[in-house]
Order: sequence, then structure tokens, then C-alpha cells
Amino acid sequence: MAGEVTLVDLVKRFASVTAVDGINLEMPSGEFFSMLGPSGCGKTTTLRMIAGFEQPTEGRILLDGNDMAYTPPHKRNVNTVFQSYALFPHLNVADNVAFGLRRQKVAKHETRERVAETLELVQLTGFEKRKPAQMSGGQQQRVALARALVLKPAVLLLDEPLGALDAKLRKALQIELKALQQQVGITFIYVTHDQEEALTMSDRIAVMADGRVEQVAPPQEVYEEPSTVFVADFLGVSNLMDAEAVGGANICRLRVGDFELDATRGKTDARGSVRVTIRPERVHLEPQESTGQNRVPGMVERLVYLGNSVQVIVHLAVGTTIQALLQNVGTEIPWKQGTAVQAHLPADALRVLDDTGAALAPLDSAVPA
Amino acid sequence: MSDATATTAPAERASTVTRLRGWLGNPWGRPRFLVVITWGYMVWSIVPVLIAVQFSFNSTRSRTIWSGFSLRWFTWDPSDSVMNDPDLRHALGQSLKLAGADVLIAVPIGVLLALGLARWRGRGAGSSNFIMLFPLVTPEIVMGVSLLLVFGHIFTFIHTGTLAQVLGHITFSISYVVVIVRGRLFSIGRQYEEAAADLGASPAVALYRVLLPLLTPAIVAGAAITFALSIDDFVISQWLSSGGGTTTVPMLIYDATRAAPLPSINAIASIMAFITLVTVLAGFLVYRAFTRGERAAGGGMVGDMAAFDI
Repeated sequence: MAGEVTLVDLVKRFASVTAVDGINLEMPSGEFFSMLGPSGCGKTTTLRMIAGFEQPTEGRILLDGNDMAYTPPHKRNVNTVFQSYALFPHLNVADNVAFGLRRQKVAKHETRERVAETLELVQLTGFEKRKPAQMSGGQQQRVALARALVLKPAVLLLDEPLGALDAKLRKALQIELKALQQQVGITFIYVTHDQEEALTMSDRIAVMADGRVEQVAPPQEVYEEPSTVFVADFLGVSNLMDAEAVGGANICRLRVGDFELDATRGKTDARGSVRVTIRPERVHLEPQESTGQNRVPGMVERLVYLGNSVQVIVHLAVGTTIQALLQNVGTEIPWKQGTAVQAHLPADALRVLDDTGAALAPLDSAVPA
Repeated sequence: MSDATATTAPAERASTVTRLRGWLGNPWGRPRFLVVITWGYMVWSIVPVLIAVQFSFNSTRSRTIWSGFSLRWFTWDPSDSVMNDPDLRHALGQSLKLAGADVLIAVPIGVLLALGLARWRGRGAGSSNFIMLFPLVTPEIVMGVSLLLVFGHIFTFIHTGTLAQVLGHITFSISYVVVIVRGRLFSIGRQYEEAAADLGASPAVALYRVLLPLLTPAIVAGAAITFALSIDDFVISQWLSSGGGTTTVPMLIYDATRAAPLPSINAIASIMAFITLVTVLAGFLVYRAFTRGERAAGGGMVGDMAAFDI
């Protein structure tokens, strides 16, 4: 089956900036693959190189085994859905969708049939004669999809296609887009900075930072088992702590301040200065007098009501601040601001991370998971 | 207290002044002060033209005393009307000929230059873009003199006359076309070209099927401005003329006003003003018609005045 994309040591340097710094990725046929990262991480440049709008400085782009790094965009069997849609404003919907078919010199009746078929696929039958300017953002987005899908490309590239839409429409289209991908069965390569979008739709996600790939894994794994400091930080609340790894192999013994903790997740064979993380929902708060392994005393600094959950910010005796997320199940939360607590950080929830040195997002842009 | 003083006459006058000041300078109301200045300027600039146009319809030979409406200086005066005076007729023809040739040659070249300059990245691009603005700021008399020198000493096979005049007009018109078309190119961006290429269009097909239709409003605006500039031009036409046969309307009017002008001069000026007005208006309407959808979209694709970005 066609549509397998392989990137080999891909590098793109602009005048003084290295936008993509040696990327190796394999995107098998029929996969919904996302490239996720903050702006400037190289995800869009990578996509543009696959589309052919940029020439790689080094490396290869294989489509089903053939290097197409130096094939011009109009000769590649990949199509793009642009962030701005880029619908031709002087053409109506039917002519926009038929544009690619006409370039391929497809017969007139076949063009008509395929345009109708594709418009039906994106639920826009009846809009043939409209101009793009007469349609809503969501409708324009569907036209952009139809215009690319009608050519039956081996790979569909999507550059933040939902970025310009409002939150509600975006959620609805996420589900639709995933269903559409399963229906047509072609490879989707999706670029986004929205972690929720990537988690909802993807088969696999490549988290990118500073022109490099930090981790490639299915959504659940990226979220539950981040391998690097950057991934842990970018996907939700990071709860990062500095620690000293002092021993153990399967169980890593950590020294955090005056306390010793065990961690069984992540790079447990690391030694020396490391960073560890724990998901807020895995932090258990217990009364001050409770004892046992992996417990650190602290004080409740603040409670934040989030509707379906309550975020408890705890200042630990070791100096770091961590968050605990308590599900709102209707019972009263026994902690108040200033309450002394024991934070239980279970060994099977503590993860030792690999620090690639990628710059973390500034605090004020962090969004609660 | 204001009730008590309002009944006396001087206080009422004072309050009229206050009310006028309030009317002009009410910070919550419309900017009436600016409106008044704007209308003042419009009256100042347009009234002399209207008077000149009015006297082109005068029934006597006077250009100062109105004696009734007539088309005498346009059509029926046997020797001095625009239609019957060979000098006037020929000057009008020469002006239209120059303007037509200018549009036909300068616009295509300007569009190509704009495409090249807008898509040219790297060394030399910045300075070329800057040099393109030179003809816009060079005093016309300097350009006229330089061109005369060039034609007189370097390209000696080009003699003064119609050919030299056309070349002169093209020289300064191209810049205007480039600036307008390039502004539009920047405002529409590269996305449509990329989309066309993505859908299988070669660069030539993308240019013809996507870029040119999108550039149409700018090209029309460029043509209208080129035509208006050319038909209006005096300095370059004068420097590069070869006398008699190459006199344009502005040259003719200039010469005639030094002798004893007839209202037929007003008539030919009226015709010129009318042609210019219609051309610019047509250009504006076409521009608006072509970009209406884009403005309705409100997506910031093209601003109203994108054509005049520099």
C-alpha cells in the first residue's frame, strides 16, 4: 500500500537559523501521524519540505522508497491543506476542487463525478457555485480538504488546519477529521501546536523542539510516559523536580533534598543529577501524620477550582512546588490553604527523564492539562 | 445662573460662539473641524477647474464673461473648435496615441518586473526594489534632460519625436505599475502559488490560472494610472518632442495661453479632464469589483488600499 513517508537525516538551514536539525521519522502507510511542538520547533518547515515548498539543506525524503527531496511540488503525489486554506478566491467551490483534476487532464465527466463525490464526503453538496468568501471558516476548511482529497494523494499534509476556527467547531472537526482519515485510509501528516488536537486524532505523535524530535510514540505513551524533560513539560503540567540519582537499576533511588524516593519509571539507570516528574493526578495528598516510603511533607499553598477537578498546589519541604489534581466527586476536600500534608509520590508514578536541553515553554504560556 | 444670563443679548451671542465651538470640537461627536477643512480644500481645488470647464461652453470668444451655453468650441465653430482646428485635433490624437502606447508597453513590462522583484530573495533584491522607486522621486525635468542626452549622444538612432516621447513616458510609468502590482503581490502572499503548485500546476500554469486573475485589479489600476499620468504629462513630452507634429494637448495649452487663447483651449482641457476622470474612475470600479469578495471575507487577505502599498 502506498503512502509511506520516511525522513532521513533531514536538515533545513535558513540564512542563520537551523530550522530542522537532523530529523529521522518513519510514517507508515495509512497512519495518522502528528508533529507536535511549540512555534519555531521546525514542524511546519518539515511539512513544507515534504510538500516540496522548501528544499532540504541535507537529508532525504522518501515516499514509498523513492527520494523526492528534489522533485518540485507540482510533481509530488502529496497534497496539502493549508492553515489559511489558500482557496482560490476567484474560483467557486466546484472549480477550486476541480483545479487539480484539470491539471491532470482528467476527462470532463469524470472530473464532475469526482468533485461531486468528494464534496459529498465533506458534506458540502449544494455549495458548488459558492465563492470561498461566501462561506464560513469551517466550510472553507472542508473545501480545502476536498480540494486535496479529490486527487487521491498517497499522503495528505495538514498544516494546523483547525487553527483559525473557534474552540467548539475545532472539537467537532477533530472527530470528523479522524473519521475521514479512517474512511479514505491514506496517510495523514498533521502539524499542530495543540496537544489536545494531537492526542485526540493521532495514531502516533512526534513531539518536536528546536528542530529535533524529542519523542515519537502513540498518544497515550507520549502523555503517560514522556521520555524527556521537554515532552513532560510540553504535554500538560510538568511537576518537574531536580534530584540526584544515587543507585538501583530497575528501581532508581533518588535523593531529593533530605528525602529518598524510589522511581520505577523512565530512565531508571541514570546516575547523578536528573530531573523527575509525576502527573498531578498521581500525586496523593495524605494527612501530616501518615508515614511510609516515597512521602515528602509539604504545605498547601493554594487551591484552584477547575470544575470537574480541584488543583492543589503544594509547596514541598524540599523547596519545589508541585501540583496535585483531585477529581471532584462531590465530597469535601479536606485540605485548605496552609494545611500541612504528606505528599505521597508513588514509585510507579515517578519518572526519571532524559534532559535533551530543549528550552521549556515559559510558565505563563502553560495551560492546565 | 446660566438661566438668568441667557436672556440678555450679549450673553446669547457668547453662547452662540460657545455652541459653535462645541459643534466643531465636540470630542464625542464627529470630527467636524476636520470635515470643514476637508470641504474647504475640495472647494479650493475644484472650483477653478469647474470655472475653466464652464467657459469651454461659452458662446462667445471671451474666457471671462459668461454669455450663454454653447457647444461652439467643441464642435461647430468652423475654424476654431476642437473638431475643426487641425492643431487641436492633432494634439488630442498625439496625446491619446502616447497614452495608449504607454499603457500597452509599460503595463506588461511593469507586471513582469513586479513579479520578479517580489519573488527575488537574496543579494541585490533590496537595492533593486529601492532603485525601482527612483523614477517616482526624480524630478521630471531631470529625467527629461537625461533622456534627451541619451537619445542625442548614445542611442542616436532614436530621434526626438513620437518614438522618443513614448520611450520617455514608459520610463517613468513602469515604476508606478511595479509599485502597485508589487503591493498586491505582497498582500496576496505566496499561499495561492503554493496551493496551485501543490495541486499539480507548473509555475507557468500557476501564473496564468491563479496569479494573473488575482493580480487583475492591480493591473487595471496600474493601467489607469499610467494612462492618466501619460495624458497629463508635459515636461517629458516637451523635451522629447520634435516640434509641430508631436505637440500634445498639455504642450498646446501651454503655448496657447501665452498668445491670445480662445475658449476652444478650455474645451480641449475639459475633454482631457473628462478622459482622465473616466479612466481613473473605471480603474477604481474594476479594482473594487474584483476585490469585493475578499473584503467581504474579512480575513485580512487584502486591505482596501493594498494596491498602494510600497
